[in-house]
Amino acid sequence: MSYADTSRKRRWLLGAVGLVVAALIAIEVLFPANPFTGLAVVLLTLVTDPNYVGSVLRLTVPIAFAALGGIFAEKSGVINIGLEGLLIISAFTSIAVAATLGGGTPSQFDLWVAFGVAVLASVLFALLFAVVCIEYKADQIIAGLAVWLIALGLAPFASKVIWGQVNSPPIATLNDWTVPVLSEIPFFGPVLFDANPTVYMLLVAVAASWYTLNRTAFGRWIEASGENPKALDTVGVDVRKVRYAGVLLSGLFSGIGGAGLALGRVGQFIGGGTTMINGRGWIGITAYLFGNYNPLGAFGASFLFASLDALQIRLQQLGYSIPSELIGIIPYVTVVVVLAFVGRTQIPDAAGEHYDSGED
Amino acid sequence: MSAAVYLEGITKRFPGVVANDEVDLEVEEGSIHALLGENGAGKTTLMNVLYGLYQPDGGTVHLDGEPREFETPRDAIDAGVGMIHQHFMLVDTLTTAENIVLGHEPRKWGGLAIDRVRADREVRELSRRYGFDVDPEARVENVSVGVQQRVEILKALYGGADVLILDEPTAVLTPQEVADLFEVFDELAAEDKTIIFITHKLGEAMEAADDITVLRNGKNVGTVDADATTREELAELMVGREVLLEADKEPADPGAVGLAVSDLRVTDDRGVEQVRGVDIDAREGEVFGIAGVDGNGQSELVEAVTGLRTPESGRVEIGGEDVTDRSRRERIDAGMAYIPEDRQERGLVMEFDLVENGLLGSQHTSEFAAGGRIDWEHTREHAEEIIAEYDVRPPNADAESASLSGGNQQKFIVGREFARDPDVIVASHPTRGVDVGSIEFIHDRLLDLRRAGKTVLLVSSKLDEVQQLSDRLGVMHEGELVDVVDPDRVTEEELGLLMAGETPEDAPSIADPPGGDR
Repeated sequence: MSYADTSRKRRWLLGAVGLVVAALIAIEVLFPANPFTGLAVVLLTLVTDPNYVGSVLRLTVPIAFAALGGIFAEKSGVINIGLEGLLIISAFTSIAVAATLGGGTPSQFDLWVAFGVAVLASVLFALLFAVVCIEYKADQIIAGLAVWLIALGLAPFASKVIWGQVNSPPIATLNDWTVPVLSEIPFFGPVLFDANPTVYMLLVAVAASWYTLNRTAFGRWIEASGENPKALDTVGVDVRKVRYAGVLLSGLFSGIGGAGLALGRVGQFIGGGTTMINGRGWIGITAYLFGNYNPLGAFGASFLFASLDALQIRLQQLGYSIPSELIGIIPYVTVVVVLAFVGRTQIPDAAGEHYDSGED
Repeated sequence: MSAAVYLEGITKRFPGVVANDEVDLEVEEGSIHALLGENGAGKTTLMNVLYGLYQPDGGTVHLDGEPREFETPRDAIDAGVGMIHQHFMLVDTLTTAENIVLGHEPRKWGGLAIDRVRADREVRELSRRYGFDVDPEARVENVSVGVQQRVEILKALYGGADVLILDEPTAVLTPQEVADLFEVFDELAAEDKTIIFITHKLGEAMEAADDITVLRNGKNVGTVDADATTREELAELMVGREVLLEADKEPADPGAVGLAVSDLRVTDDRGVEQVRGVDIDAREGEVFGIAGVDGNGQSELVEAVTGLRTPESGRVEIGGEDVTDRSRRERIDAGMAYIPEDRQERGLVMEFDLVENGLLGSQHTSEFAAGGRIDWEHTREHAEEIIAEYDVRPPNADAESASLSGGNQQKFIVGREFARDPDVIVASHPTRGVDVGSIEFIHDRLLDLRRAGKTVLLVSSKLDEVQQLSDRLGVMHEGELVDVVDPDRVTEEELGLLMAGETPEDAPSIADPPGGDR
């Protein structure tokens, strides 16, 4: 796609957004008593409320970590749609290990050990996926679905074995870290410097991912491996190794995301239905597609989707009854719109294709 | 002084074909060497052996007098051999500099980050040294094909290549870019780089190269000095002459126009115009031949005529009826049979047995599938009839097509196509890779159809074939039908000149078919 096409589509998008805003303003002016006014006021109060923004950031953690992981895997040429499964595995492992170590009241140290073990479990699962896809050339989509389905069955099953039910009993969570002085800054202080450690980890991971992808040789290899693996192979870089690294990074990040949700926010493993992860891995995929494989964009999209989720909860509390299912489909609708109509997302050319060195 | 590259008796076999048959090739350091030949002559195979992509079945690769064994391209690159493929090995989303240094990135901060300033500077210096105009910061997807090719050359040079192999480097370029590329060749040769480029265009070989080696059917048929040779000599070396097979042919009795093509323009997959305004009026009871060096638009012409490719403009008519916008199936129904040039790609489904392959193209007709259900019994009988009549061996309808030899596959395709009782037959290289006995058989069948008043369009790069079978012979060069000649009176030299794009003085041109008014 040429640059001109892209910019034209961007103008279209801007135009469409402008039109909607103009229509809303017109409604406000012409019909002062319309039901939207109250809603607009509520929204305005919410987005300026540090508590709300802080809780959105916490909700962003699992989505954005899954998205970062997905970026590394897919940019290297291996589409990992098993992110949801990796989140489930690490969420379960973290709670199980923490509960084993400290019973109902694990110490902060126990929680951090559990965190590490959970990340390791997710990486091992990702390694399995990588071996199946890279070594045995399994279809990546099917293997990814398998990762999800296995996790979806295994975690509640193990819960039953350990606790006799699919849900674990509640346990303590990771304490927030308050940065002295900086946390006193109005609005930004409470949001950014009086937060859960997993939020700090996310902010560091986003910056580090961007730097790795854009400024290091490894980042260029990841890009080449997904766009034109043969070009990389012929200059002497082992495509297999680069792809392994990409997939293992997706395991690492998903592990942090899953354990971050379980130990940083919920303090329990919930194994019923779609489990406590509840589609956040899938939303992570939509987030990085929406963000066009850019860690910053993916973080922004994750934040947006998380804020919709938090908003829906708040509105329900305030008595507005918007079905949560309706809010839940917004990320997916967005990604379809973005992929189909905006066309800004450029999927790596060789994503999903096996690569055989020496094949002509 | 020993040669920079010396290939000694290279033999490379693939199942069923000998792609290189004891080929010798010697290239001096700092010289530009053209490897000339038709498609399938074994040029690319030979270079892939030098580049380590293929292991030869016999013979030795020598670099600077030392025998070398390359198991992978990596080994060849390390030994200073770089290859620029027809399809560039570039990462579109990276900048030109990032592509050039890929895998050899200069680092800073203890290897953590790419030293982009140094990378850009080194690329600029390298680029300036050879007179290239490459912007290190431009993204590859935003630069022209010509620049992308330079990026590929720079990439090879940055990786330390002394020998550069280019596979059909001009195929994707505009004439101006071709001229620039040849200047680049001279600059590189002046720096003692050795260049081998593959081409099937003899004009380019003569213009750009110091020496030219011609391959035909996997054999080196001669190495000539580019300044001392002529186009005719090269054309003859390329096309060659095979044993003349006598075909009985009575004078033509042409009738109405069976297949008409007017002002047809066709572009290939890359958007390059390959057929540039071709007019053909093949008549009933006539074989209209098309000769030419491969790659001059014949494939695209045939695809447009048969409905496999949509032409940019122009008309195709069968028996006076405009079929330009008709689908492939509608053209089959209109009475057009097609013998494709690549039988394994287009003629047969290799995993199907002959019963199933015999049905292809007729699967929708009431004869084989009345009411939407395939009549397998009738289909089997049909395949068995083809096998018996066209002497397909082994005579086993249940055999998978892949298990048959090339000649028998071809006979089966010919049988299937002729069994449609077509009015128009488009035969594209109908005897390529077929044994002598089958060639004669296929020729006889084509002449039978001519006798029965059918229209035959025959495309072939075998001169003896088109000359013997055709009643009129069109010669294609760079997408144009340069002349239509009388095959009985045209000489080999005249054909060679026409195929090279030149107009000989007394070529026996004929606009109308012989017979009727002569």
